[in-house]
Amino acid sequence: MLTIDKLNEYGANTAEGVARCMGNEALYLRLASTVADQPEFAKLNDFIASGDLNSAFEAAHALKGVLANLSITPLYEKVCEITELLRARTDTDYSPLLSEIGSLKDELKRLIDSE
Amino acid sequence: MDRFLFAGGFKRRVLVIDDEFINRELLGNMLAEHYEVVYAENGQEALEKLQGDESDISLILLDLLMPVMDGFTFIEKIQENEILKRIPIIVMTSEKEAEVKSIKLGAADFITKPYDMPEVILARCERIIHLSEDNIIIKSTEKDHVTGLFTRDYFFEYIKRIEAHRKAPADVLVFNIDRFHLVNEMYGRTVGNTVLMRVADTLGEVLKDIAIIACRPEADTFYVYCDHIEDYSPLINEIQDKFINSSGSAKIRLRSGIYLNADAETDIEIRFDRAKTACDKIRGDFTASVSYYSKDLHLRSIYQERLIKDIDQAIENGDLKVYDITDVKPKLRSAEALIRWVHPELGIVHPGDFIPLFESNGLIQKVDNYVWSKAAQQIKEWKEKFGRSISVSVNVSRIDIFDPALKEKLRKIIESNGLDEKELMLEITESAYADNAGSLTEVTNSLRESGFKIEMDDFGAGYSSLNMITTIPIDVLKLDMGFVRKMEENDKNLKLVEIILDIAKFLDVPVVAEGVETKAQLDMLKCMGCQIIQGYYFSKPVPADEFEKFIVQENG
Repeated sequence: MLTIDKLNEYGANTAEGVARCMGNEALYLRLASTVADQPEFAKLNDFIASGDLNSAFEAAHALKGVLANLSITPLYEKVCEITELLRARTDTDYSPLLSEIGSLKDELKRLIDSE
Repeated sequence: MDRFLFAGGFKRRVLVIDDEFINRELLGNMLAEHYEVVYAENGQEALEKLQGDESDISLILLDLLMPVMDGFTFIEKIQENEILKRIPIIVMTSEKEAEVKSIKLGAADFITKPYDMPEVILARCERIIHLSEDNIIIKSTEKDHVTGLFTRDYFFEYIKRIEAHRKAPADVLVFNIDRFHLVNEMYGRTVGNTVLMRVADTLGEVLKDIAIIACRPEADTFYVYCDHIEDYSPLINEIQDKFINSSGSAKIRLRSGIYLNADAETDIEIRFDRAKTACDKIRGDFTASVSYYSKDLHLRSIYQERLIKDIDQAIENGDLKVYDITDVKPKLRSAEALIRWVHPELGIVHPGDFIPLFESNGLIQKVDNYVWSKAAQQIKEWKEKFGRSISVSVNVSRIDIFDPALKEKLRKIIESNGLDEKELMLEITESAYADNAGSLTEVTNSLRESGFKIEMDDFGAGYSSLNMITTIPIDVLKLDMGFVRKMEENDKNLKLVEIILDIAKFLDVPVVAEGVETKAQLDMLKCMGCQIIQGYYFSKPVPADEFEKFIVQENG
């Protein structure tokens, strides 16, 4: 189960995230718990793999917005990076960045699923 | 105002359009305390909701990047709908370029992503809703729906704003349609509204080069605020011609009052009041279509206001004096009560200064009631003192004629002084006949049946109708002094008096000639058979105690 302490340890700016929830910690934790299951993570991988950078940008952009609003900083920073590359439709190898994003997401998932 | 708008648990509805569940939840949580929140996952779903049951939305919070229909397309679609485009939209974006594009497309504001703190978002939502509602209210109330001109309050407010920057001289114009109520009564409101629209169009066309702003403050009155020009004559003539041509009737006439180069230091509403005073001055005068506000008119209106303010005090203090003038027949039998106002500060106020004024605003009834009572007391006193009845004539103004309580008021006065109805003679004027011949005939018949004697006063002073003296049942005809004065000028005038006397004789109505000042006039009238004479030749109007000398003289 996700807690404020676990998220702080993960590197999230929980004070900011909770403030956006009008001080409602329960809401914040409930919303943060859904982040790792956002379908955009899978879409981002799939669209890049198929070379559809337009759709990949949209998925990255959507993720960026959600992560920013919840102040999940480590994931947000990496997703920002890939969003900017995709915005410019940069022809590059996205796999290292995707891998980093995948690891951070999995770490978050473990925090959510752990006791 | 807000107190009332938010009272009773009333919450405005806000539509949040975002494809991300987390973003919708965050916003919903921020807004829920103050608003009822409705959600859509994309532009298409939002449009369907707005065109369905969710049309009463006060604000839209819109994400831009969404599947199915994105935010920009949604704004474009909503701008095509006259009703929906009034709903303000706040765009939520993290892109600088998108902010500019959204505002250009018609968004009211934007919120950056990640979201600001909730207080900031709530404050922006509240501000945009208020601005939008104020705007809708202003748009629906600032214009008169009939003519498209401004309404009174907005008109004055806009002028105040204009004058904060504009220092050039301005003219203040008031237009009024003569007897407009008759148009509505005779032809109905639809025709009345058409006339009002034509006036607005005509003023707009003719004054287009100088008019700054115009309004219709009340039913048949128009105000125009213009750049100053020296001469309005050609424009006023053009307005009259155009208006008569477009209305197809010369019977509907526009009157105008102009305050040239109006004093900008004076409150704008007062400036228009002054132009309106000028406009009202020519009410009913069919020879004049424009009147200019002047210093004299200003002083006169201040003087009139003072008289209106002081009349109650004058009655209470006895400053209104009833004077009498004799009717000399072979013997003194009657008198006419005339009013004099001796004001403690203004001195003698001429009846010509206050009677027409009080006739126009209804205060004349107070004066008339006072004179009736005083005259009745006088008759009673003379009866007791000299043992004989001297009847006294009193004025019954137009407005009294149409007062349903007239007869009752007179009856009480007669009764309380122990008089006979015929002792208080009632003078009516021909102007009442012009107003409403039917009512006048009815009222005079009824008064005569009760025993009162009716005198037609100032006959020939205005628009006399021969028809009138045959239809109105009268007991005495009082020939206006103007006839007597002009009688000696030429044979034509003399002949006219003779004809009137002949008609009266034919109708068996005695005639009193008023204003006789010379022996020659007296002789001429006697020669023509007029037996009852009144005027300075015998006596000027005098207070009651002096009048008693005539009675003593006769008795002696």
